[in-house]
Amino acid sequence: MTTSVNDETLREEVRQWLSENWAREIADELESEAPTHYTASPALRSWLGKVFDARWSAPRWPEEWFGRGLSNDQAKIVEREFAKVKAPGTGQDRVNLWANTLLAQGQPGLKEKLVGPLLKSEVNMCLLYSEPGAGSDLAGIRTRADLQGDEYIVNGQKVWTSGATTADYGMLIARTDWDVPKHDGISFFFCPMKQPGVEVRPLRQITDESHFNEVFLSNAVVPAENLLGKPGSGWRVLNTALAYERSVMGETARGSRGGTGLGLGAVTEAQPLIALAREAGRLDEPHLRQQVAQTISYRRLNALNTARAKADLAQGTSSSIMSLGKLAMSRILHEEARLRTEILGAESMLEGEDYPQAVDANFLSLNAYFTSIGGGTDQIQRNIIGERVLGLPKEPEVDKTIAFRDVKTGVGSG
Amino acid sequence: MNTLGSEERDALKDSVRRLMSDASTEAAVRTVMETDTGYDAAVWKTLGEMGVVGLMVDEEHGGSGFGPLELEAVMEEAGAALLCSPLLASGVLAAELLNQLGDEALNERLLPRIATGDCIASVVLTGDSGCWTQQGVAVSAKQDGDSWVLQGRGSYVLHGQNAEVLVVVAKTDDGFAAFEVDPSAPSVTVAPLPTFDRTLRLASVDFDDARAVQVEARQPVWQAVKRTLDLALVALAGQQVGGTQKVLDFTVEYAKARVQFGRNIGSFQAIKHMAADLLLETESAISAARYAASCLAESSEKADEAISLAAFACADAYVKTTADSIQMHGGIAFTWEHPAHLYLRAARSSAQLFGGSNHHRENYLTAMGG
Ligand SMILES: Cc1cc2nc3c(=O)[nH]c(=O)nc-3n(C[C@H](O)[C@H](O)[C@H](O)COP(=O)(O)OP(=O)(O)OC[C@H]3O[C@@H](n4cnc5c(N)ncnc54)[C@H](O)[C@@H]3O)c2cc1C
Repeated sequence: MTTSVNDETLREEVRQWLSENWAREIADELESEAPTHYTASPALRSWLGKVFDARWSAPRWPEEWFGRGLSNDQAKIVEREFAKVKAPGTGQDRVNLWANTLLAQGQPGLKEKLVGPLLKSEVNMCLLYSEPGAGSDLAGIRTRADLQGDEYIVNGQKVWTSGATTADYGMLIARTDWDVPKHDGISFFFCPMKQPGVEVRPLRQITDESHFNEVFLSNAVVPAENLLGKPGSGWRVLNTALAYERSVMGETARGSRGGTGLGLGAVTEAQPLIALAREAGRLDEPHLRQQVAQTISYRRLNALNTARAKADLAQGTSSSIMSLGKLAMSRILHEEARLRTEILGAESMLEGEDYPQAVDANFLSLNAYFTSIGGGTDQIQRNIIGERVLGLPKEPEVDKTIAFRDVKTGVGSG
Repeated sequence: MNTLGSEERDALKDSVRRLMSDASTEAAVRTVMETDTGYDAAVWKTLGEMGVVGLMVDEEHGGSGFGPLELEAVMEEAGAALLCSPLLASGVLAAELLNQLGDEALNERLLPRIATGDCIASVVLTGDSGCWTQQGVAVSAKQDGDSWVLQGRGSYVLHGQNAEVLVVVAKTDDGFAAFEVDPSAPSVTVAPLPTFDRTLRLASVDFDDARAVQVEARQPVWQAVKRTLDLALVALAGQQVGGTQKVLDFTVEYAKARVQFGRNIGSFQAIKHMAADLLLETESAISAARYAASCLAESSEKADEAISLAAFACADAYVKTTADSIQMHGGIAFTWEHPAHLYLRAARSSAQLFGGSNHHRENYLTAMGG
């Protein structure tokens, strides 16, 4: 059931609710806890629980799925009110990759079990896509899933799996049919991570952190009801999920080392590059001023593109601009980090708590690759833009029509 | 100010596009750009009748009374078609400076004729430095009894050779003042400047103790100039993104059609990736131009920032797109007969017209408090 409500009443209701529930202390608590990238802190969970109970988590969704059946425009009213007080948790019907994928493609039982907890960040997730032999060419995966009774038995290896150590489920792609061409034999699952058949080995990253992992799947068990879409239609499910992930990566990125990526990080300075140059006493150097202005403009233009894309979507025209965001963000992050380094100069050779700006510049320089490689490299993004948006012809694909059994993948098999 | 809803604005844009597809075809542009005046009088008349020339003139003076959003939209079409016309000179710069100065008697006399296109007016502001700043003004005015005399040289005057009236910004002992000048008067010498972009018309104007009538101003003259330049930058940004989009479109079409090594060149990543990067530049420039127009229409406090951003983002995107387009076409685009160089010329010149990108980046940073 969807009751219609007028804009003013709705706005008043959100404001009222926020004024009764959102307090500065919660904001402080959320910030001080510095949650990691992949799990929500207890304070955040408890806040998300309140948002959920009040049906603000996914206001566009129907009541059956914890929403209010609001139109896009009305949902934006809700989002705007939350944003005004910097409260997280609403608009998940747009940005929650996991819940959106599950709601669109999942079987009733699994949806019943997980959609709610996902909106409350009570379950942690990871992406089991990439393999040693299949990165950009994801359709070349060799992890297999074989149906036995009402369970799939999974064997293979995943790699670069961010957040796997804390995950309860992984969105998994595995091959269920080896006798059809590579894109046709893949299926998509919610794979339970806490089980003997799943072994997670952390990898040390260039940032000296350890967010991504190797995941070994040895007779791991996935209930058949955890299959999303139909057997063999995993490539399509994957592409919807990837599009989500990429559009989110085009709008947000992790700031400093302690940052959360959940859009909660304290943004104290509107233009950190100006502040940095001023602090370094270099804001009057003409060549730096040019670079600062140019670099700030990249972020600004991306925000304007995103706003225009959303306005287009609201009017019903599909937006090709959306697919540009991730490529834009990758330039933004690399250029901002490069400029920070240039402003700092020699100090960027130093590390440690006495040199927080050097730590930031160096961390950001390295972590920019998260966006330019993760979720599909810049080169793959350019292929996608060229082919799907501009309609340029694809490269000849030598392995598109042959049975996957006969396809070569990975390193040095040529 | 009349602000149209987005559907009506699209309709206005469409009507201009239809006119362009008739009247400003590539063949027409090539003919008109080689004439002395550099515009087609019949097309100019039609633009006047459609209300396009008088877009920025208020209704009470016979214009359409529209604002920056409508102007930006129309200029996108003009830019896409490389329209050769005094629209920017007369309909934007001169009309807006007169609006801003607000000399009622003068406006009643001039604006209705500017709005129909019957009178072409232009603005003399910068000198040989080409800087559209206070320092760039190279004409000075001295009072002589009841009247004024002008001395010095204005340059880069848009369609100066076609103007019936010049509005001249000059330095006086008490700051800046504006003057109405008849270009055919003795002691005024208008000389066309040879232009790299042949769709553009520029002139120099020398004043050797030329008599001039002061224009009354209801706000400080430089403030009126600044507001006029804001609007001109929005118009130019619109023109630039129109051109950028058009060049990207025909370049992508060519990449789909041209075959080498047995396949379309657009399937080569070296070409495809250039095209993808150009799409990002183009869409970003469109966002910037439209955002600047909306900030100016709303007199937002972000207007300075938004206009400076659009000024360099749109200019740079246009230059990059046109330059890369030639590379992506290969030899065919090195021929005079191919349109790519017409756009490259327009892009390179428009990127200098009201100050270069470094100048606008500097203003952008200053506007953000840096
Ligand atoms: C920080 C980080 C976090 C990640 N998190 C996850 C995760 O949680 N889950 C997950 O599944 N994966 C994750 N990934 C993996 C990521 O998706 C892959 O690394 C990425 O898709 C590239 O695959 P690859 O590393 O195998 O490189 P390759 O595909 O081998 O690419 C090597 C180079 O070849 C280029 N290349 C390849 N194919 C083409 C082509 N067709 N055209 C042009 N150039 C091409 C690439 O652009 C790249 O420069 C993460 C990666 C990083 C860096």
